[in-house]
Amino acid sequence: MKISLLPIALLSAASSIAYAGDGQQNDNTPKLTALTHATVVLAPGKQLSNATVLIENNRIKAIVKDNDVPAGAFTINLNGYTVYPGFIDPYTNYGIEYTPEKQTYEPPIYEIKRIGGNAANGAIHAEKEWFSYIYPNDKDAQKWRCNGFTSVQSAVMDGIFRGTGVSVSLANKTANQVIYKARTHHFISFDKGSSPQDYPDSLMGSMALIRQTFSDARWYNESVAKAKSYPEIAAPEFNIALEALANVKQTGAIFAADDLNSELRAAKLLNEENLPVHLLGNGQEYARIDELQQYRPQLIVPLNYPAAPDVTAEESANNTSLASLRHWERAPSNAATIAAHKIPFAFTQYGIDADAFWPRLKMAVAAGLSEQQALAALTTDAAAAAGIDNMVGKIAPGYMADLVIAKGNLFTDGHIVSVWTQGEEHKLLPSGHVWQGEYQLRVGELELTLNLNVPAKGSVTGTLTAGDEDVQLQHLQADEQRVSFSAELSQAGLTGVSRMSLWRDQQGIQGRLITADGSVEPINGQVQATTANDTTSNTPPAPSYASKLVHPLQAFGVEQLPQQENLLFKHATVWTSAAQGVLPDTDVLVTKGKIRRIGKDLDAPSGYQVIDATGLHLTAGIIDEHSHIAINGGVNEGTDAVTAEVRIGDVVDPNAVAIYRSLAGGVTTANLLHGSANPIGGQSQVIQLRWGETAEGLKFEQARPGIKFALGENVKQSNWGERFTKRFPQTRMGVKALFTDAFNAAREYHEQRDDYAELRSRDKRKTLEPRPNLRLEAVEQVLNSQRDVHIHSYVQSEILMFLRLAEQFDFRVKTFTHVLEGYKVAPELAAHGAMASTFADWWAYKFEVYDAIPQNACLMARKGVVTSINSDDNEMQRRLNQEAAKSIMYCDMPPEEAWKMVTINPAKQLGVDQLTGSIEEGKQADLVLWDHNPLSAYAKTQAVWIDGKRYFDRAADEQRTQAIAVEKAALIQKVLSSDDARKQGETSRKPPEPIWHCDTDFHAWNQQQEAL
Amino acid sequence: MMRLSITIAFIMGAVCSAQAHDMVPAAPQSQPILVKNATLHTVLNGVQPQTDLLLKDGKIAAIGQQLSADNATVIDASGKHVYPGLVALDTTLGLVEISYVRSTDDTEDVGTDNPQLEAGAAFNPDSELIPTVRANGIAYAQVVPRGDGLAGQSTLVNLDSWTIEDAVHRAAVQVHLNWPTMPRWGVKTDEQKAKAKAAYEQKIKDIDQHFQSAYRYALAAKAKQIKTPDERWQAMLSLFDGSGKLFVHADKQQAIEDAAAIAKKYQLSLVIVGGYDAWRSADVLNEMHASVVYTHMLDLPERSDEPIGQAFKIPALLKSAGIPFAIGFSDDWDSRNLPLAAAQTVAWGLTTDEALKAITLDAAKIVGASDLGALAVGYAGSIVISSGDILDPAFGKIEALYIDGRKVDLNNRHRQLYHKYLTR
Repeated sequence: MKISLLPIALLSAASSIAYAGDGQQNDNTPKLTALTHATVVLAPGKQLSNATVLIENNRIKAIVKDNDVPAGAFTINLNGYTVYPGFIDPYTNYGIEYTPEKQTYEPPIYEIKRIGGNAANGAIHAEKEWFSYIYPNDKDAQKWRCNGFTSVQSAVMDGIFRGTGVSVSLANKTANQVIYKARTHHFISFDKGSSPQDYPDSLMGSMALIRQTFSDARWYNESVAKAKSYPEIAAPEFNIALEALANVKQTGAIFAADDLNSELRAAKLLNEENLPVHLLGNGQEYARIDELQQYRPQLIVPLNYPAAPDVTAEESANNTSLASLRHWERAPSNAATIAAHKIPFAFTQYGIDADAFWPRLKMAVAAGLSEQQALAALTTDAAAAAGIDNMVGKIAPGYMADLVIAKGNLFTDGHIVSVWTQGEEHKLLPSGHVWQGEYQLRVGELELTLNLNVPAKGSVTGTLTAGDEDVQLQHLQADEQRVSFSAELSQAGLTGVSRMSLWRDQQGIQGRLITADGSVEPINGQVQATTANDTTSNTPPAPSYASKLVHPLQAFGVEQLPQQENLLFKHATVWTSAAQGVLPDTDVLVTKGKIRRIGKDLDAPSGYQVIDATGLHLTAGIIDEHSHIAINGGVNEGTDAVTAEVRIGDVVDPNAVAIYRSLAGGVTTANLLHGSANPIGGQSQVIQLRWGETAEGLKFEQARPGIKFALGENVKQSNWGERFTKRFPQTRMGVKALFTDAFNAAREYHEQRDDYAELRSRDKRKTLEPRPNLRLEAVEQVLNSQRDVHIHSYVQSEILMFLRLAEQFDFRVKTFTHVLEGYKVAPELAAHGAMASTFADWWAYKFEVYDAIPQNACLMARKGVVTSINSDDNEMQRRLNQEAAKSIMYCDMPPEEAWKMVTINPAKQLGVDQLTGSIEEGKQADLVLWDHNPLSAYAKTQAVWIDGKRYFDRAADEQRTQAIAVEKAALIQKVLSSDDARKQGETSRKPPEPIWHCDTDFHAWNQQQEAL
Repeated sequence: MMRLSITIAFIMGAVCSAQAHDMVPAAPQSQPILVKNATLHTVLNGVQPQTDLLLKDGKIAAIGQQLSADNATVIDASGKHVYPGLVALDTTLGLVEISYVRSTDDTEDVGTDNPQLEAGAAFNPDSELIPTVRANGIAYAQVVPRGDGLAGQSTLVNLDSWTIEDAVHRAAVQVHLNWPTMPRWGVKTDEQKAKAKAAYEQKIKDIDQHFQSAYRYALAAKAKQIKTPDERWQAMLSLFDGSGKLFVHADKQQAIEDAAAIAKKYQLSLVIVGGYDAWRSADVLNEMHASVVYTHMLDLPERSDEPIGQAFKIPALLKSAGIPFAIGFSDDWDSRNLPLAAAQTVAWGLTTDEALKAITLDAAKIVGASDLGALAVGYAGSIVISSGDILDPAFGKIEALYIDGRKVDLNNRHRQLYHKYLTR
């Protein structure tokens, strides 16, 4: 039985032998084809002239000289044509017969249906193997073939762990024949897609889930292996998604991110996991190319250029950002910039209309991409990205007969004539296109010039010229064999309407003229020599730009980061925020980013810049304990009561203009906190406002790790609407219980992990490892005093509750934030050693702040609580000096103490008081020069230094403001004077993000639900 | 115990929308008050050092050197500063106690053609918020209904009263129109954009239609042809006879100019509230003698490319554009920061006197109160006495507030809790 089946199976697998026709069982037609006299591009930079490509069945057999064509081959003369390897698009959804289930549901959904051993999160379906859904569709294939693509990599682009892709041919054959490689790479993104589950609802949530999933997969597969060797070990419960990720080290993963910040985050994540950095780009790479390059990525680059902003009307021009204008101008240069940085990349048609692909690619070439680089991005590098570079991407013996035949230079004015997939030709031009050109005709004595235009798309047009007279042709029809038309040729002496039809033969052009009276005249003709098919490219003129390339690439971005200055401030009023208080007429010496000396009559060492600060005030930089600036993709992962695993540090946004604005308000350090939507929120990130730096460069590395906890109305979902009454907790009692529960779980987890860690390696092999849990690890760090708690709180009951709970679990609460009723329990706060960070005067907007008073800071400070004033607000952050002054007005706080509330006190709360927060010798030179008493509403910063680097300067800001207007005007002119082709493009898919507050409820992945 | 009962009331959603504060409104002025040797910030006549001011029968009776009056209470104000009581425009004071507690919120009703709604009908003079606001020198507030389209009429009140009837201060009729805005969120696809644009255009058409209806009504009323009143259009009659003012809340240039076109068509007296882009429309606004209540002092720049100090600079831009303006503060509890808001202009192009004028005299003018906002004979006896500059919180402590010659209690919920917990 078995034996007899085998040959049949083999037969059907072989692509050359197919069911042939009505009567004949086997197709025995000879399948040797020679494409002769062609210019053959074997691979980027390797080109042969007058060569022949020999194809047998679906593969390339050989590349030979024209006079070596074997006898019996069917030849096609490609004189004047160029043969390229077929192109590969490594990022598509072609040929997959699968639609993610559209579910109607009402949030919140905390758990998904568990079916077939799937992952607990609906966005994780790493087990999908997309080859099993391949069902070729010739009509769809044409969307790629029309641009010269002959194979693609496909997957369903849905969810976070999307499954394993497949690379397929675009041939019109069976699934079995088109699958080039069944399992290529895993596909990953941040977007949870069609998953109905609430978690993750933020970008940082997605990052945390990805990290946990990689960790789980490692743990799962190791544990399963252990259980196989040691029957006494109970294997972990079956999980197909984790099992499927066992091979990710071998296959790698292609990570899709829809903007540049997230692309860099993806690179960082892959790097952390020791995976090769394969990324889907987004067209913005040029804006941070040096940073991206450091990850040694391989990119798949779409040609998604933005549509020109509408700048015709006054108001729409006003509302157009400089950033969008710059991106419009620079987008075509993206590929050239990537290439110049030696980053391997492939092009994809993803995200744009097929029609736009070649015009965009030509724009990229015009913007400086070399033709060889462009070709590599379509062939060799693309084949590598699709995991099939051993069979496509080159013209070489044994490679698939996937070819592109072109006329002219594809990258300038040429076009594709036909595409071959697995040895079968797909003509891209209308059959009449062969008639394109100019002809000399003779009818009797009459000499005529015929000009025919048979474009790839659109109608056929033509003229006949006799002497000086041009006559438009009517009723033009052209097919491969024949062209026919009518024309009014009275100028040539032929009355009425004449009809002509022409055909080609070995001698040239033959034809007939039928005159108005019905008589027939023969026509002889010949093809005019066409202009030489010039494939040598001239270097295009270097493109010129009106836009500046700055960091970040938006208004107020900087061309160069500031350098450390050695400075001597003379005669300043110095607010030390330290024991020395406020020192009049004092000098401060700054060396290599540090405050070296404070005193009178200091001399400037040579090379120092002396700043006459007479009448000016010098302070330490302002520090904000509670801020939500410079964050992407949501400030809350509020979908679960405990989300300690998420990290604000993952989603810092170095492009946020808020950084620059707050810096201008004298702020040098800010604690970026998770929101207050759940009791145990995410990990915080302290940044220094080093405008122009990368996300990583903003981080204040020496600051203490922190985490946001929250109490009160927000976490018990009091103001979330009627649907949100199911999640525990809904009362302050429940909040306490939840914390206790979480702390116990973390403690137990810690003990289990410790026990395991202490095992001898021999015993470890025989013991199931407790699953690493990033959520509980972060909570455990709190219990171990490795991570500081900043807890959002309002009323006295909850403040006291948490103080006592912390004492029960033996850790100290670092800072109560908001703490608007802190004044009621100030002695208890002081006794515990907790610090407090409050609003100057907010109250009355919700019930839990109805007892808030603007004397809160005074009352807490009076009992010895280290108190700061925070903003929790992008606007107020730039006026924190004025907020601190309110305690002078409301409760007579001494000015020096008020000033400490925005400098050294918050420094203590962030664990950076040894480095910054005051003007003392040895400290970091985080300094602000003010034109008035800094507590005055009339005070303005003159300059702001971090680490002795001047990140803000008032005069430079004014110049920059002017320059922005000039640059914007120039770019608007450029848009207005551009042709329509240059203006076309995609409109941004992502709306701008809102300004975050503690309780901002933002759905990073399904904003459309919020629509209208 | 009292707080407990309040909590229960909120949870039960009981009718009590707020509770009475404990400060007793001052009795009418019964004897003259003579303020001696103060620095007077007159607004109308500059800063006058070492000058006396006499309050009599609720009015400013005299200003000068060496004043005397029989039977007067004399206040030695040496080293002190005297200002007119501040006028806070575009507040919701007394309409809302706790914005998250729905039962305490009377700011906004349903519909887009509600000019007949009167803020005074919902104003709670016993709101706990009010004493905290007046403690910062704010004597008067324009109480404004919110809502889409024609939202209703605002009322100018003094901030120390037993009832709304005590509180109302004479001013022009003020009808408020909230100009529609295009949604900033959730508009991504072309289809959504088209839908949003159509919805916006429909709203503009509706507004046009409302004004046409009101105009028809005004024509008929003039001809004494109204049989059954329509309260909506009745409420707008004063706009058409020139005695009332139309306050259009709009920020973007296009919206401001569209609103101006309607006001021009019916020859209405126009005030733009918000007014972020108003300085760009100087030609249009000045032609019709419109004024602006600028309310974005403590806001971020509207657009990412704008100068970082744009929100602070706009009053100076309005000034150089020649557009009359006041500075407002669109909030309830937070309106106590009005002086701080006005102070921002000083580092960005206005003098302190100009900043002060924008929250006193010019604010009063815009609501049509001709006797407020200056220290001048005949003006209301509403003054602030402070230790220093009241625009700069750290440097000017408010020591006394008089409204119509009545000495106002500066105590409030915050001071009470402060003093209570000082004893702990």
